[in-house]
Amino acid sequence: MKKLNRREFLATTSAAAATAAIGSYPGVAFSQVVGTTAPFPDYKALVCVFLHGGNDSFNMLIPRSNAEYSVYAASRQNMAVAQQDLLAINPVTADGTDYGLHPSMSGLQGLFESGRAAIICNIGPLIQPTTKADIFNGSAKLPPQLFSHNDQQDQWNSLRGATVSKTGWAGRVADLIRINVTDQQMATNISLSGNSLLQSAEETVAYVIGSNGPLEFSSFSNSGDPNDIFYQQRLAFERVINANYDTIYERGFAEVQRRAVATADLVNGALNDAPALNTVFPLTPLGNQLRTVARLISVRDTFAMQRQVFFVGIGGFDSHDDQVMNQPALLGGVSEAMTAFYNATVELGIADSVTSFTQSDFGRTLTSNGDGTDHAWGGNQLIIGDAVFGRDIYGTFPSLELDGADDVGGGRLIPTTSADQYAATLANWFGIPDQDLDIVAPSIDNFALRDLGFMI
Amino acid sequence: MNKTKLLSLIASIGLSLAGCGGGSSGNSPPLPPPPPAVTKAEAFQLLNQATFGATQAEAQRVIAMGIEAWIDEQMQMPMSLQLPHLNNLPQPSNMAELQVDRVDIWFRNAINEPDQLRQRVAFALSEIMVVSQLGALIDAPYSLASYNDMLTQEAFGNYRNLIGRVTLHPAMGVYLSMLGNEKPNPALNIRPDENYARELMQLFSIGLVELNADGSDLLDGQNQPIPTYDQAIIEGFAHIYTGWSYAGAPSFEQARRNRINQTIPMQLYPAFHDGGEKQLLNGLMVPAGQTGDQDLDAALDNVFNHPNVGPFIAIRLIQRLVTSNPSPGYILRVGAVFDNNGFGVRGDLGAVVKAILMDDEARPEMPMEIDGKIKEPLIRLTQLWRAYNGSSASGKYPLVASYYIFGQGPLQAAHVFNFFSPFFAPAGEIRNSSFVAPELEIATEYQNTFITNYFLLLCFGLNSANPDLEEDDVFIDISEEQAIAADTNALVDMVVDKLLGGTVSDVLRTEMIGMIDRIDTVDTANRTAEAIYFVVTSPEFAYQR
Repeated sequence: MKKLNRREFLATTSAAAATAAIGSYPGVAFSQVVGTTAPFPDYKALVCVFLHGGNDSFNMLIPRSNAEYSVYAASRQNMAVAQQDLLAINPVTADGTDYGLHPSMSGLQGLFESGRAAIICNIGPLIQPTTKADIFNGSAKLPPQLFSHNDQQDQWNSLRGATVSKTGWAGRVADLIRINVTDQQMATNISLSGNSLLQSAEETVAYVIGSNGPLEFSSFSNSGDPNDIFYQQRLAFERVINANYDTIYERGFAEVQRRAVATADLVNGALNDAPALNTVFPLTPLGNQLRTVARLISVRDTFAMQRQVFFVGIGGFDSHDDQVMNQPALLGGVSEAMTAFYNATVELGIADSVTSFTQSDFGRTLTSNGDGTDHAWGGNQLIIGDAVFGRDIYGTFPSLELDGADDVGGGRLIPTTSADQYAATLANWFGIPDQDLDIVAPSIDNFALRDLGFMI
Repeated sequence: MNKTKLLSLIASIGLSLAGCGGGSSGNSPPLPPPPPAVTKAEAFQLLNQATFGATQAEAQRVIAMGIEAWIDEQMQMPMSLQLPHLNNLPQPSNMAELQVDRVDIWFRNAINEPDQLRQRVAFALSEIMVVSQLGALIDAPYSLASYNDMLTQEAFGNYRNLIGRVTLHPAMGVYLSMLGNEKPNPALNIRPDENYARELMQLFSIGLVELNADGSDLLDGQNQPIPTYDQAIIEGFAHIYTGWSYAGAPSFEQARRNRINQTIPMQLYPAFHDGGEKQLLNGLMVPAGQTGDQDLDAALDNVFNHPNVGPFIAIRLIQRLVTSNPSPGYILRVGAVFDNNGFGVRGDLGAVVKAILMDDEARPEMPMEIDGKIKEPLIRLTQLWRAYNGSSASGKYPLVASYYIFGQGPLQAAHVFNFFSPFFAPAGEIRNSSFVAPELEIATEYQNTFITNYFLLLCFGLNSANPDLEEDDVFIDISEEQAIAADTNALVDMVVDKLLGGTVSDVLRTEMIGMIDRIDTVDTANRTAEAIYFVVTSPEFAYQR
């Protein structure tokens, strides 16, 4: 199997090392400059499933026992899922309440009950542990622009807290581990869902592909034959995009083209040679993306990959309207696709090295606006894989009572666990040592638990 | 060429490559008298800012008329609309099919109609006040066409009228769920929908934080930005926007979409409007007991008069038309025209557009590395088609998969945050120097490759030399080039004139010549295709100077 030409990666980076990488891949080039290499002995992958729009995840994880369900139902009214329809789960750690999952999530139920999945409850962006009293007396340091889509997506992805940050936590992870993955022939971060702040950092640029993998340039050949016009076309095209340009815009555009030309045919070549997966994925955008992730993981050795972060995502969760009608397909789709992905990692014999997890803008109001819900704050997230201490609910399940201890109004719940703790736990498993967790999760020192304990 | 592969890919996504013929933008009024000196490069620059792509003919008119006269003439042009076209077509049983025709008429207008500036500004507005075919409006093509027509009509009108019409348009009502929004019902824990309340302020008018007149953040004593609104204000506006649904229904509950009511303003159903007092921006309280219309007027006046609107709209329109990184002075000058058009009128968008295009910063004598912008991908396509009379035998441009190929299409954003963010900065040089390049958010490896391959198909396959075109294939007319294509330098000059206004980098010229010379001189079609392909896929064509 052919490998990427290291020279192509190194060309732009050695001179730029001191000034932060313009156009470099993570790790690959920079390790040369840093000098020390301590390769990871193993392979691990994180797969972020971003549910764009704000998942109403208090309809994903729901109290099932009578007393708690009646509080839930009183708050949620016409948004409530019927008690008898809930899929029972039995967490290892009891908190006195029985829980259930949305009836569309039977795949998740199976993974949870067999110890392959965990749920982190009432989690969201925080700068420090925050109570309702802190908020109302003005003493709380709060993430800015709560309840705004793009700002809270940025919070989840950057963990920036109160100060503006232009880097994402998975990008910072990739920067930190670059000395440990020196042989990698591809970017640590790959997105199948467009540019994401999550994967971007000082020295890290994600490689963005489509749901089914990279596209190749139709008219370019790698034949090396000087009489091959398609080979010449590629060389001429490369000379154009490698030229010096006067504006930041042309340089930025040319850089994307350079990465695209340098990588697409090699990755596709590897994918074309990969054995087919037997696992059947749903024919949905999320199913397609996760199937491609599984296929890319299956060719990891071709590119000497030791650590990978994949970003996939779907929209439709901003359920201001018609929530009751739309939610079963949304949540069922997540459950089905993530279950298929887990099964594919089992098929590949790598389920203990691949962890998928969800992020979403925010949870939604417990109250309704008539036929839907509005932007809120804390929500519930899923973690799936054999490296997860599964069949458990982590964090503190909040009161679902309106105007209760956790409600800042309208059923917007103050998170009881921070997104920083979530990322730090995943990063720690991924190989980031404890002393570097504050680089990944800048507010982590404000929280008692630096690791939530859901990863082996 | 590996055309088969691309064609099958395109077929697999259900894309039809057809197009139809449009003419050129020929029927313009007689030229007015004395022109200030405009260079060809300046004319090209203006036209790429103010139209869907410069053409030789239009550049000659700008040179003859002068820039200001050209802008004034544009603003007087009869407007090209969409809904009349859709209304002339049979109504399909599956309404979603008519989205093909909605996109078709968008391209017909963008490629062929003379009211280019109006269409271009309407497109810019459609990226600020976003509604989209992708989602609940998939089977409401008439509504989307009507929404686009409204933006076209208001492109040079007053911003206050614009947000009034946007607010009550049923396409927006559906997209941001104000349609059907009702007063609170505490017994059922139902409170008004906050969707439109939030996005009107965040995305259409004032943004999240208080701005100085030059567009910079206004800071408090601790050097922190100051939020423009809080949750209480969101809830105040959410209560304002209650009681509206499709017009003409027997009752609020019975209001359902039909062909007519999806194209006319929503109607107030007073019994569903909240009559309480409401907190708005800057401490304004709307008293209890007003009608829904009075409430709405008070609320939109309140937004309209917020000092952020001038710089906010100035930045967004400058970014769409001229440059990603306007200077504070540019924003200040344009924002001042928004505040007062010179005749004491606030919100005159025609004056704002003219101020943007007439500003020195739109035509810098000594361009800096941050002047200009990346062209939106769709505009790379329309520029090619305008420069080469892109048309099809059937007259159609059935490019309904535009968003899939180009990452954007007419009213085809993935969400209300548009195809890309005004704040996007790619990692590396641009981010490190705190500049932005919004269009680069969708210029991913994947999308750029898709577009590069699509241009390959357009240049080599869909041109006038191809005898096998189907009637819906939009093709470019390369006959002029073919006539001189045996002469490599003449060919390069002609293509560079049409697409780059005569200015080309040494490297691009060298590589074009090198590739053209590999093709037999009698193969004029492929020599021409090669030349055009190399230009339209180049960084310098992707850049709007």
